[in-house]
Amino acid sequence: MKNKSHIIKVFSLIFIILIIAFIIGRIFQPKSYGDHGHYRWDAVTELQYQEIVNQDIKICGECHNDIYNLHEKDAHYTVPCTDCHGSGKLHVAFHKGGDNAKNISKEQAVMEKEYKLEGCLLCHRKLKAKPSDFPQISQEEHYKFLHVNDINTKCIECHSPHEPVFLLTEVRKSRIHPIVYRCTECHDPKPEKSFRDVPNHPAIFECNDCHKEIVDDFNTKPHHNYVECRTCHLYHKENETTGRIYKNGNAKFCLLCHEKKPFKDDKYPPKIEWPSHVGSQEIIIKGDEKICLNCHQDKIHKMNVKFRENPHSGNWLIEHKEFGKQNLNVCQKCHTMNQCYSCHMKNKPSSHMADWKKTHPKFGMSNKQSCEICHGKNSCISCHKLEMPHPKDFGDNHKEIVAQKGKEICNKCHKEEFCKQCH
Amino acid sequence: MEKIDRRQFIKVGIFTTAGVLVGSFFGFADSDEKIDVKTFDDLLKYEWGYIIDTSRCIGCGACVRACKIENNVSDNYYRTWVERYEVNKNGKIRVDSPKGALEGFRQDNFPSSEIVKSFFVPKLCNHCYDSPCVQVCPVGASYETPDKVVLVDKEHCVGCGYCVQACPYACRYIDPEKGTADKCTFCYHRIQKGLAPACVNACPRSARIYGNLKDPESKIRKILNTRRYGLLKPELGTNPKCYYIELDMEIK
Repeated sequence: MKNKSHIIKVFSLIFIILIIAFIIGRIFQPKSYGDHGHYRWDAVTELQYQEIVNQDIKICGECHNDIYNLHEKDAHYTVPCTDCHGSGKLHVAFHKGGDNAKNISKEQAVMEKEYKLEGCLLCHRKLKAKPSDFPQISQEEHYKFLHVNDINTKCIECHSPHEPVFLLTEVRKSRIHPIVYRCTECHDPKPEKSFRDVPNHPAIFECNDCHKEIVDDFNTKPHHNYVECRTCHLYHKENETTGRIYKNGNAKFCLLCHEKKPFKDDKYPPKIEWPSHVGSQEIIIKGDEKICLNCHQDKIHKMNVKFRENPHSGNWLIEHKEFGKQNLNVCQKCHTMNQCYSCHMKNKPSSHMADWKKTHPKFGMSNKQSCEICHGKNSCISCHKLEMPHPKDFGDNHKEIVAQKGKEICNKCHKEEFCKQCH
Repeated sequence: MEKIDRRQFIKVGIFTTAGVLVGSFFGFADSDEKIDVKTFDDLLKYEWGYIIDTSRCIGCGACVRACKIENNVSDNYYRTWVERYEVNKNGKIRVDSPKGALEGFRQDNFPSSEIVKSFFVPKLCNHCYDSPCVQVCPVGASYETPDKVVLVDKEHCVGCGYCVQACPYACRYIDPEKGTADKCTFCYHRIQKGLAPACVNACPRSARIYGNLKDPESKIRKILNTRRYGLLKPELGTNPKCYYIELDMEIK
């Protein structure tokens, strides 16, 4: 037998190298590598700890309840807050408080307000590549149509960003085939025959088919060259505002075109100054919100404006509670839910943030009534120990009040130097 | 330079290593909020898929902006982007994506009367079932999670760039700041907490939809059962999980 020692040497060398390689591999191989495959399992866990930056719309809604409710009803309900206002990470962390808020300054927590022109045009700029059913604006044409002179005019000068004068998607669809979608919207129960078998049954209904008298009258009036029925009317689809002028005959609707503004052409279409136009007409008493149609209906078409007068007399502010509980759908014939939300909010309004304690006097001085809706009549007295804002004759009586209740209650709002101004 | 003897060298060495170790431990522990980390078995219940409805996209670029902020993506690199395809009446095709649509699209490239067909196509990582990028990684830094998301282990990646070359959809890039490969993660941190990925959350037209393919009741399954869809470059056998509704032949 020949000497095999050289083979043993070679193999043992390979064996040792393999063992060393195995040990080195073990040392350098990261922890948890190979637990569930050829990768480091801890990497999956680590990634789950990444910080969430873009905030959910529901988190915004927790504080900005009023705007959230408006936005939810609007055509823009699919656009999350973050698209226009930025991610909101610092804003939410700052206002939630706690350890995370320590390193954030108040300036950093301010959200972006995309009140630039670009903000709306990112979506609504007219481009061939966009789907044709998506509302698109050629800025040039739009301003030409509305006789706007200043091309830097921002969209929000006319359109409120949370409740723009756009219709819900469903309604917009019905504009192409106005009014009727399904047979059951006119016929109950659903007829067995197809409309094609019925002689003279239109396939698509136009306004003219049912409201011939009004459309004919409208065509003789000055507006018919410039606007269409659908400019002002929602169609029958939307139960909330059936057949009404958008925004329920709110004066502001006419003002979209007819209000005098620095960026608009002064001459055309005819402009008025608002609200001084109403003030100059002596027949109108302050607080009595007349709508344009009360005087100007002859410029549009025959209409019955009687129902537009305020039907609620007497102590309606208190009585409407009981009525609304049972007959909410009756209310909704004229009012949108947004009008309810403007007073009845589920949470505190968005103005009540951060430094509201300091800034609330400014608001309360002129809007005490709106405070009272939620806080009741005695809420000012409970902190200030006085009737707030001060009654007219306060200046004459204040000496006695200070003597009775002490100077401390004055110092809550006024500095010590305030007395020295007169005394 | 001052001479360091062996004893000093070892001393300094030990202290720096210990310092780094302790420091990194605290650094990691500090950001440690209490979240429910999903276990392996939890993840097996999911299989994330993605739908892009090209007929609904309006090219606003909200998804690109949201992704950039959410994942702190370096400038001029995009994990998701929007392409525009324009076909004119002579059959000429132009594809563009200025800045990945970060600032939207400004104007038509052809005179608008000549354009016969035009549409937007958002793109992102396809998270393929048979990802070429995972197969080529020499160090096991590219991997597929149990819920079928293709991810990069940035701690482990050596930045060789094989995966960038291998991806047929050009969805990977080498992060210029870290020098490691980077890509769309489906916002893994968001989907594990039940939130939509940043791009899906930002889309104002619901052109982007994501969901669990293993759940027969999920929205994504219902859409795939009813709509016609296509895949990008199916001939490569990568089996992508991004389904494109109304996919045009020109889209590559």
